Amino acid sequence: MEPANIDRTVFPEAAALEAESPTFSARGRRRPFAVRNLAPYGYISPTLLLIFVLMVIPIAMVVSYSFQDNVIVQKNPVFAGLANYTKVLTDPVFLTAIKNTLIFITLSTIAHLVLGLAFAMMLNTGLLSGLTKAVFRIIYILPWLFTIAVVAVIWRLMLDPYGVINYILTSIGVLQSEVNWLASPSTALWALTFINIWSGYPFFMISLLAGLQGISADLYEAAAVDGANGIQRFFNVTIPQLKPVLISMAVLDLIWTSQQFALIWMTTGGGPLNVTEMLSTYTYKQAFSSYEFATASAAAVIVLLLTMIMAFFYVRQLRER
Amino acid sequence: MMATRQARHRLGMKIGVIAGLCIGAVFAGFPVVWMLSTSFKTNGEVFQVPPRLITANLSFDAYWKILSNPANLRFFLNSYIVALWVTALTLLTAILAAYAFSRYEFRLKRFINVAIVSVQAVPPITLVIPFFGLVVALGLYNTYGGLIITHMVFTLPYAIIMTTAYFNTLPRELDESVKVDGGRGWTALWRILVPISVPGLIAVGIYTFMISWNEYLFALTLTRTDDMRTVPIGIQLLMGQHSYEWNQMMAMSILGSIPVLILFLIFQRRFIGGLTSGAVKS
Amino acid sequence: MTGETTRFRSRRTRLLGVVTAAILAVAAAGCGTGSGEGSAGSSAQGGAVTLEFAQWWGAELPEGSFQELMTEFESQNPNIKVKLLSAPYASTKQQLVSGAASKTLPDVVGLDGAWVNDFAKQGAITDLSALMADAKYDESQLASQIKVDGKTYMIPVVNFVYPLFVNKDLLSKAGVKAVPSTRSEFLDAAKKISALGGNVKGWALPLDTAVPNGVQNDVMSWLWASGGSMLTQDGKPNLTSPPVKSAVDYVKSLNDAGVIAPGALTMKEQDKVEKFTAGQVGMIIDSMAHINLIKKNSPDLHFTVAPIPAEDSFTGKRGIPYASWGVGIADSTQHKAEAFKLVQFLMSKEANAKLSTLANGFPGNNTAEPDFSKSDPLFKTAFDIYRKGYPANEFVGLPKSEDLMRTFAENLQLVLAGKQSVDDALNKTQQSWASVI
Repeated sequence: MEPANIDRTVFPEAAALEAESPTFSARGRRRPFAVRNLAPYGYISPTLLLIFVLMVIPIAMVVSYSFQDNVIVQKNPVFAGLANYTKVLTDPVFLTAIKNTLIFITLSTIAHLVLGLAFAMMLNTGLLSGLTKAVFRIIYILPWLFTIAVVAVIWRLMLDPYGVINYILTSIGVLQSEVNWLASPSTALWALTFINIWSGYPFFMISLLAGLQGISADLYEAAAVDGANGIQRFFNVTIPQLKPVLISMAVLDLIWTSQQFALIWMTTGGGPLNVTEMLSTYTYKQAFSSYEFATASAAAVIVLLLTMIMAFFYVRQLRER
Repeated sequence: MMATRQARHRLGMKIGVIAGLCIGAVFAGFPVVWMLSTSFKTNGEVFQVPPRLITANLSFDAYWKILSNPANLRFFLNSYIVALWVTALTLLTAILAAYAFSRYEFRLKRFINVAIVSVQAVPPITLVIPFFGLVVALGLYNTYGGLIITHMVFTLPYAIIMTTAYFNTLPRELDESVKVDGGRGWTALWRILVPISVPGLIAVGIYTFMISWNEYLFALTLTRTDDMRTVPIGIQLLMGQHSYEWNQMMAMSILGSIPVLILFLIFQRRFIGGLTSGAVKS
Repeated sequence: MTGETTRFRSRRTRLLGVVTAAILAVAAAGCGTGSGEGSAGSSAQGGAVTLEFAQWWGAELPEGSFQELMTEFESQNPNIKVKLLSAPYASTKQQLVSGAASKTLPDVVGLDGAWVNDFAKQGAITDLSALMADAKYDESQLASQIKVDGKTYMIPVVNFVYPLFVNKDLLSKAGVKAVPSTRSEFLDAAKKISALGGNVKGWALPLDTAVPNGVQNDVMSWLWASGGSMLTQDGKPNLTSPPVKSAVDYVKSLNDAGVIAPGALTMKEQDKVEKFTAGQVGMIIDSMAHINLIKKNSPDLHFTVAPIPAEDSFTGKRGIPYASWGVGIADSTQHKAEAFKLVQFLMSKEANAKLSTLANGFPGNNTAEPDFSKSDPLFKTAFDIYRKGYPANEFVGLPKSEDLMRTFAENLQLVLAGKQSVDDALNKTQQSWASVI
């Protein structure tokens, strides 16, 4: 259970204000509602129903496939025990896929957070008129409006060796000759990550913008009174207040980015030389190219287990106020 | 003296922010500008070297082709209907669930939380076939309903998590003030919590709408006829076996994004202005 | 929080609620279910049967022309209606697999030869030999049939051959007098074209692993053009044989000479065509179906088609790769007889000729004469090349052919990136293939 978000020794006024705020005092005196109350189950019933019918059942089917062989595309499924899991875990391509996925999701999420926060703060500034901010808000949300197939296609077009990006970069002298962004094993993964960062940051920006609205201006004023400059206010007021939202979004983004399939498939297809092979493309190839649904299911279950571990730690650190 | 220095400081900050915003705008907007540019070219000019923003054959051909095809218009309509329903129903369900998570302690709470977060982790590709079978069994194949509940399943986890987070920032005293007046939890939820959380709910709503609008894999799998299909499928239909209709693809994406942009414009004003700051203080 | 603020806030909330309700009302007005809701597959009402035909062909043909053909069929068969379903080409195979698994496949399905083996094993498509026997169909008019275990599962309706496309302007600019006919002539021409500089290269090799057709069209074609084979007599992989090695060595030599357009490792077939159309590549092996496309997108481009160059000493018949629009019937359909009537129609002399002319392909009915009078003379040239050689595509009918191509592509990529020798690549691919075939 963390103490006041604002360091009392450095910014006594601000910390005092925060301590007075109802949010803090509620934390001190927890009042759990009656446990025997059935009300929460009622509120949560539609969610449970939907998720159970439409998620748990298919997932159970996938898990069952992973223990069989000859599923879906062949007519006689047989029980195969852990054979599929062994096959997947000893496949060097699977291990490469895990490595690439980890790099991909970590870089993407960090960049999303940083960019999203930076843009949100710039869009939240009091220095500019509402109209200016509105215009920029529209521009910044543009990447989000397009379906991923179009994002893949347009970036492929722009990153073509003779495409516009290379043209501009060579014209202004940053590059000597055209770079094969997506076809060269050394740059493909970074180019792909860049595209993913571009297409995904608006989500963070919007959520953080909403979160920034919720930080009371008084906290900033009190910190200013304590002599905090802009940077100190940022690290001691903004970040702590946004922490729950930041953590939630980071976890979610890690999970979602690991599911990204269409972007990778339509730009590099997992190549060249498997440098952009991710868990999603690996699973797809197993399922719809090798027609090994059992193996694909095993890979899916492995991913699910890894994520459940992460989800468990995430939920554990969620504190109610 | 002090005032001038401060004023100059402010001016410096302002220029800095505007510069930062402009650089960011180029980053965010250039590909979209290129999309627009491509939509006005002929297919032969798309790969021209050196690349040009505006070419000699500037034409609205691609747009006419898209708009004059009734199938495309139907795609737009379908996307809207599905996305709006998904947003409304997801918000509703998420608000209810978030209230339970935020305000109550109950057994299985942590377990359900973990479950909700983890179900998103299963690669959708592997879920396609079981899901397909399930939807057919429910009789929802090739209907709006099938798509709506499918999209809800994908958007609910995030919606619940974020709404719970927003509710968690609101003190219990607010609920109690209603209870003191003799109201129940239900009243507290709808008369107090929800109105205050509107900016957060709008963010969640916008996100849900976007996800549903841009979803391709399940929309393709769970629909069969053109009268049920959505915009992402319409765009992919332009990627033929032999060639892509580049200009039409870009035109359709641009056309598809305009109404979404308008929706965003309408609701984005709710982001601004600290509606919440007043509530928290008192 | 004062009472006044609460009231104001709730009024705003109410407004928001009203707006939302209005939007939903509009949405609900349009809400409903699609045609054919719930049930999947064809329906039969009072004698009339509606067949669902899933294909990607309509989008590749002139607007409305495929529907016209279906209308013609319907007029010849008053009890049968045809409903055309289309899906994005890139997702067709995946959708068919899913549809087969849930037994919601449409009655008649457009197929690619590379998918047949797996679909037949899945039990998704039905045995056409049996249907042909039932209908007493004259099989001799079929140019080819795709069989698995001796039974036909797909009939190619239109065939598209892949000759060599040559940019005549670039050739003459590079000082090459004649269209290359042997491998060394080709290498020489490619070098001279690449020497023109700028962004021009002699050849393009699409080795994208997502859709690895490049292995079939752009790599194995060299093997088949010299009469070679990648399989043994009894259909086992034979990748370590001299002809295959020589073909792969040749591709490597093209790469070493720097004549291949950059981006080969993730280039897709569409990119290859676009670059040729834009005049960035001098020669490509490409589908004849693109002739009109290239002319439309780049009317000033002077190009011609030619047989794929063979080994220098080769004088025999040259194999020419092909891809087909094939047709199959779902196993789960209730109307197999009617579905076969549609297949018969598509393969009938007149309809087949018409379809081939529209698609710019060659008919699957070997008595049908496509009408070249109104089309580009290049089609006649391609037809002559086709007649002089033999159609060659050993991937058709193989199990998991996409996987086989992909393994080959991945190993070839390692060779081109300098990380593996040709022998190692062929050995590894041979081993991998042997476990599948």
